[in-house]
Amino acid sequence: MMQPPPAIHIKDLRKVFTVSQQDSGARAALQGLVKRRTIQVAAVDGISFDLEPGEIVGFLGPNGAGKTTTLKMLSGLLHPTSGEVKVLGYIPWKREKSFLRQITLVMGQRNQLVWDIPAIHSFELNRAVYRIPPDIYRSTLDELTELLELKPLLNKPVRNLSLGERMKCEIAAGLLHRPTVVFLDEPTIGLDVTMQRRIRSFIAEYNQRFGATVLLTSHYMADVEALCRRVVVIHHGKLLFDGDLSALVQNFTDHKTIVVRLEDCQADLKEYGEVISCEDNQFTLRVPKAETARVTERLLADLPVIDLLVEDPPIEEVIERVFAQEKP
Amino acid sequence: MNFFRLLGAYFVVSFMGEVAYRVNFFVQLFQTFLNLVVSLGGLAVIFSYTDKLGGWGPQEILALVGVYFLVGGLIGLVIQPGMEAFIESVRDGTLDFTLIRPEDSQLLVSIGRIDIWKLIDILLGLGIMTWALIMLGQKVGLMQAGMFVLALAAGGVIIYCFFLILATLSFWFVRIENILVIFQSMYEAGRWPVSLYPAWLRYGLTFVVPIAFATTIPAEALTNRLNLQTLLGAVGAALVLLVISRIVWRVGLRHYSGASA
Repeated sequence: MMQPPPAIHIKDLRKVFTVSQQDSGARAALQGLVKRRTIQVAAVDGISFDLEPGEIVGFLGPNGAGKTTTLKMLSGLLHPTSGEVKVLGYIPWKREKSFLRQITLVMGQRNQLVWDIPAIHSFELNRAVYRIPPDIYRSTLDELTELLELKPLLNKPVRNLSLGERMKCEIAAGLLHRPTVVFLDEPTIGLDVTMQRRIRSFIAEYNQRFGATVLLTSHYMADVEALCRRVVVIHHGKLLFDGDLSALVQNFTDHKTIVVRLEDCQADLKEYGEVISCEDNQFTLRVPKAETARVTERLLADLPVIDLLVEDPPIEEVIERVFAQEKP
Repeated sequence: MNFFRLLGAYFVVSFMGEVAYRVNFFVQLFQTFLNLVVSLGGLAVIFSYTDKLGGWGPQEILALVGVYFLVGGLIGLVIQPGMEAFIESVRDGTLDFTLIRPEDSQLLVSIGRIDIWKLIDILLGLGIMTWALIMLGQKVGLMQAGMFVLALAAGGVIIYCFFLILATLSFWFVRIENILVIFQSMYEAGRWPVSLYPAWLRYGLTFVVPIAFATTIPAEALTNRLNLQTLLGAVGAALVLLVISRIVWRVGLRHYSGASA
């Protein structure tokens, strides 16, 4: 059987911005009116990866890593400085209508819905712009309404909705034309945990039902853990990691966490490893991966251990360590 | 046609948004009324001293005032709000949502916001024009009506292109809305025939800020004083500007997608 072509293909992608610089002070500001000093900044600096159709991939990186810039190049909003981008076989920046009809970009920090009117009217506008046939529009809207529990929200002016409610409507607006490639830029930002969970399960459901390819950026590792088997990590515009989430943990940690429960909190465990915390007779130790077995053995032998657990450090911590590294 | 289909869709959205704020309707009504009083009052004062103004009689100037309201209404209905919304969207980044839509971005930007209450000005303009024509006791022939519509269309297109080119500058300079404000005060000059102004200003209002095309020339057509040459010139200028504004738009977009963060 022939391998289907990747839904998203990026090779040696680069985007260099010219940024004007200004020294502080009024004088410099005045000078800036006439002449600006500029510097070149590579926001995306030679990254490559492919996404298979139907995949959900987490796209991670600290602020300013180049995630949004990459998403904008993928959705045709930015022209790459060099390198190759293909989405569904199209070159995004040409912005062909047949391409744009198949993608969507949902940004957690920006709204496309018209502020003063109920979301349903903005949906109608999208129906006109995307030329969605009435019956398909109906059924898609019904489906999205059910999955996102939009019914009570559709007829309220958008400005009266809570942040989470608005986000649900934003997502629905972006998906009315049933895009096969979905770019989600921090869709859960600022939302409470329940709403985050609901949006997460919706994304999974949409991906299943429509076989859509999803590239998701988020600062919440819970989103990524719940949705993505594969993650792509970038930092300073360069690719740091591309692979299974579990492999990320293996690759970027040389430590394990040992949680020991003792009869009392008196003991001094410094000689076994770095003590991170001690609460209710429960110690958390950080131990180099290679020594885990030996330390465990010693702890069990030396101390009145009630319970002992060896864990990988939490994914947040791993990511933090990855980002804390300097350029690879 | 696609254009009217989309225009309709955007009109509905604007309409929905506006009816929620009925106060705006009364504010607009009041503003239009003030504007009307100032215009007619000015006319009354001036024509109490003279019967002709730059070769135009009172009823003819009244027809011009009608055109002034009509075109001003058209500008305020779709052109100006659309361009203001566009400039805003460049600054706050929501232009991205326009650009990922599978329609011509220039078209979407141009009809992106509609200030429906300006329909009042348009209706008023039509009313004043009719009134002026009745007072003139002049029959409007098919030829004359055709010339008027053509001149009006050319004037509208020229003003639209002028706005679009200015607004497109925001791709480079981001904050540009003050230019549009300047236009608004210059448009006031259009309530008088440009032949009234000294030569330098006349040229300015024709070739730099093309207000003469929007008001004087259609009014000339209406009052039977427009020659074919000027009309063809206006239509030609409209077509040329349409092409130029399209090019400027494309270059601007390329710049935006090349440089924005």
